[in-house]
Amino acid sequence: MPDLALQRPGLSRERRDALLGLLLIAPTVLVLGAVIVYPLLSAIALSFQSVYTPTLEGHWVGLANYRELLGAGGFWAALLTTAIWTAGTLTLQILIGVAMALLLHQNILFRSLARSLVLFPYFLSTVVAVLVWRWLFNDLYGIVNHALMAAGVIDAPVNWLGAMPNAMLSIMVVGAWKFFPFVVIAVLARLQTIPEALYEAARIDGAGPISRFFDVTLPQLRDVLTIVILLRTVWDFKEFDLIYLMTGGGPVNGTRTLPLIVYQQAFGLNQMGMAAAYAVSMMLVMLVFMLAYLQRARKAAA
Amino acid sequence: MKKRPAWIASLVAWPIVLLIAFPLLWMLITSVKPAAELFSTSPTLLPKAITFEHYVRVLTDTPFLQYFANSMILATSTTIVVISISVLGAYSLVRFAYPGRETLASLVLFTYLLPSVVLISPLYLMLVSIGLANTLASLVIAYTTFALPYALWLLRSFMAGIPQDLESAAMVDGASRMGAFVDVVLPQALPGIISTALFTFILAWNEYLYALVLVNSDEARPLTTGVMTMLISAFNIEWSLLMAASVLMSVPLIIIFAFFQRHLTSGFGAGGVKG
Amino acid sequence: MVQVVFEKVSKAYGDTVAIPGLDLVIESGEFVSLLGPSGCGKSTTLRMLAGLEQPSSGSIRIGDRDVVNLAPAARDIAMVFQSYALYPHMTVAENICYPLKKRGVAKADRAIKLAEVAALLQLEPLLARKPGQLSGGQQQRVALGRALVREPSVFLLDEPLSNLDASLRAHMRAELIELHRRLGKTMVYVTHDQLEAMTMSSRIAVMRAGELQQFAPPDEIYNRPANVFVAGFIGTPAMALADGSLADGGGHLVVHVGSLAVALPFAANGVRPDAVTVGIRPEDVLVGEGPWQAQVRLVEPTGYETIVALDADGLALTARVPGSNALRVGETVAFDLRRERIHLFDKSDGRRWEPAGR
Repeated sequence: MPDLALQRPGLSRERRDALLGLLLIAPTVLVLGAVIVYPLLSAIALSFQSVYTPTLEGHWVGLANYRELLGAGGFWAALLTTAIWTAGTLTLQILIGVAMALLLHQNILFRSLARSLVLFPYFLSTVVAVLVWRWLFNDLYGIVNHALMAAGVIDAPVNWLGAMPNAMLSIMVVGAWKFFPFVVIAVLARLQTIPEALYEAARIDGAGPISRFFDVTLPQLRDVLTIVILLRTVWDFKEFDLIYLMTGGGPVNGTRTLPLIVYQQAFGLNQMGMAAAYAVSMMLVMLVFMLAYLQRARKAAA
Repeated sequence: MKKRPAWIASLVAWPIVLLIAFPLLWMLITSVKPAAELFSTSPTLLPKAITFEHYVRVLTDTPFLQYFANSMILATSTTIVVISISVLGAYSLVRFAYPGRETLASLVLFTYLLPSVVLISPLYLMLVSIGLANTLASLVIAYTTFALPYALWLLRSFMAGIPQDLESAAMVDGASRMGAFVDVVLPQALPGIISTALFTFILAWNEYLYALVLVNSDEARPLTTGVMTMLISAFNIEWSLLMAASVLMSVPLIIIFAFFQRHLTSGFGAGGVKG
Repeated sequence: MVQVVFEKVSKAYGDTVAIPGLDLVIESGEFVSLLGPSGCGKSTTLRMLAGLEQPSSGSIRIGDRDVVNLAPAARDIAMVFQSYALYPHMTVAENICYPLKKRGVAKADRAIKLAEVAALLQLEPLLARKPGQLSGGQQQRVALGRALVREPSVFLLDEPLSNLDASLRAHMRAELIELHRRLGKTMVYVTHDQLEAMTMSSRIAVMRAGELQQFAPPDEIYNRPANVFVAGFIGTPAMALADGSLADGGGHLVVHVGSLAVALPFAANGVRPDAVTVGIRPEDVLVGEGPWQAQVRLVEPTGYETIVALDADGLALTARVPGSNALRVGETVAFDLRRERIHLFDKSDGRRWEPAGR
């Protein structure tokens, strides 16, 4: 037992307690330091160097990477693409998520089965989700084109992933499908804690179902939606797997978001320093949302 | 209070639910369709004949089982490492007073949001320099970067919910501080620990980017990158085969989901949203 | 015999001083209540005695041992928590046996002890259940059982009855009194409920903002409150308190309060404070006849008696009158005071002031 070892005379019980606390947190601090803090600092250091990935040889170049990155316009284009992707897929996630949560909050038939079916995509590997959707979107044999042609919506097969803006819309839809269950779970949990008395009071005051939603439900959901939006903004912004596997950033650079550039620079173009500069710049943009979430979450935890 | 079933809501909800579930259903259907039926110009919703030939081929003709074993070892080891560290760490963050504790808690939350692509180059350099590149161990190390902050944050909120009186009572009753932790806190935190372990397992099972960068041999390749290799290396994409692989790859998740859904949703609230 | 002694014990959390310096001696076998409003430091005091909080300075002795640097486990105490703190994953039997197990008591002996305690608290039918399956009163018994089983030298009870409903609370009060009588052990009881403190304690320690206000038997606390705080805190309905002054009325002490001049049956000799706070308990206001008039502000029948709020020309008083009465709000009534029982406190420091001859 560690605290027996600490029962030396001369140490007050309070000090001994603090020491035990430090002992328990020590593995966490060591590991976080080694795999996160140190790499994070190295990433910042790397961004001031030029490193050729295969040989890992590099030298200091100062701010050259940043100058190139901001000057060439590649960064700004990718930032815009990232913003469009994030805004688009997040909007879909929130709309579908809230609507689905409201429906699942009702006493519908086979509710628990419906819940399981709705939540499952979130737990699925992105690789599986992408394979399935690429098959659905397949231009020759995909069921989406078949169904739309059968319904008379389109005359000829649509190239869903190989043309713009289809590719962007397609990944937004897949992103929404994969991640909206997060919104459902969060909103559903909150819905279940809204006291029934609020609705009864609203009913006595003469509110119909629609004004009950806007006057009772929505205000109650505001806090949880704020947190969900912040969290999902951060996560969608940094999404790599889904976009990389759906389109690889294409067609041309139509869906090339910032995380994809970082990867391309580091392991495609073998410019590790440049990749780090992109990564650090991207993180600075994200910092606004991260800090906003941190502040909210700390407040909620306190 | 007994509620009447909401018929109108059911009629609205179920078509949407089925639409959401359709891609998964289609994956299943495709995986049992004979190849000839797959590329017909008018695809059938339900297969005319059911075949398991694609499953047999995935298991015998491809390195799928090797990838599966790798993923299993990888996800299990990550979970064990992360849970052992984070159970102690979270307890320390919740119950002990020492300078820097709040800063550390904020740092944990911050790292929970950190993008993997920022860490990937330095991690790659680090793992290459200590000679671990291309091993499962390198992936376990890399996975702790996202799994550990996540597990810490989740367990922290679970443990904060355990009444401190219980530990006080145990200490008055004769337990040492760590004795109270073992006798009282661990059993109480068990649902939270299970839920965190499941999440960690799922995260590790599904991870793609680190596996892509850090491993490029079949000996250490997990399912995510392995199955994608099957897609890329095939001259003619065999969708049935890929769908069968996708189904098989999702089996552990389906099992977890079927038996522990309650744990998953409770962990969700504790970690992600409530803060 | 086991005396509990607090000597210059202080507790600060950062810059906030919770307890500036406490001196308290609890005699062996006593039932002492720590009573006060929330935030008065009574729970902190108890937790320091238990070893769950560390005093910033001072010493705490149980028997002849200084326990400040001892772990809770080593202090030979048992504690009942307000939340009961029953271990949810253990059965009732396991809960009760846990302290014995931790002390290495053999299994056979544990079973004997368990049987004794279970019989004493009528817990036999519940032993195999988990705490979640018990009612509040049953959980309370189990918590008591877990404290009793070890036969500690001091029992600590932290608001153990506050989560019970009123009738159960009255019942448990009686049981606790009986239990204390039978065991004869020192018990320290924290409560904010004066009724509990008054009915059970041999002595009550009234606390406020971390400082001990008065430490005395219940009747003394009630009849001779040591200061304005204790006077106002103890007793329901509360004692009426008003500013007043003292004068010499031809050898007799006269207290002027509001527009009343009340001649007291005490001599006016000796020093006396310039300004006083005058305290009058409701039972010392006699409604019906008397030299003074007051208007009835509020009538609250409680059944056996009725509480009446009076306004005597700006002086607010409360009176107890019999349950059956014809008092109406707004009417004017005559009243008198039990003059020998009027409480006087020095306005400068709030302390009780006794006239000569009382």
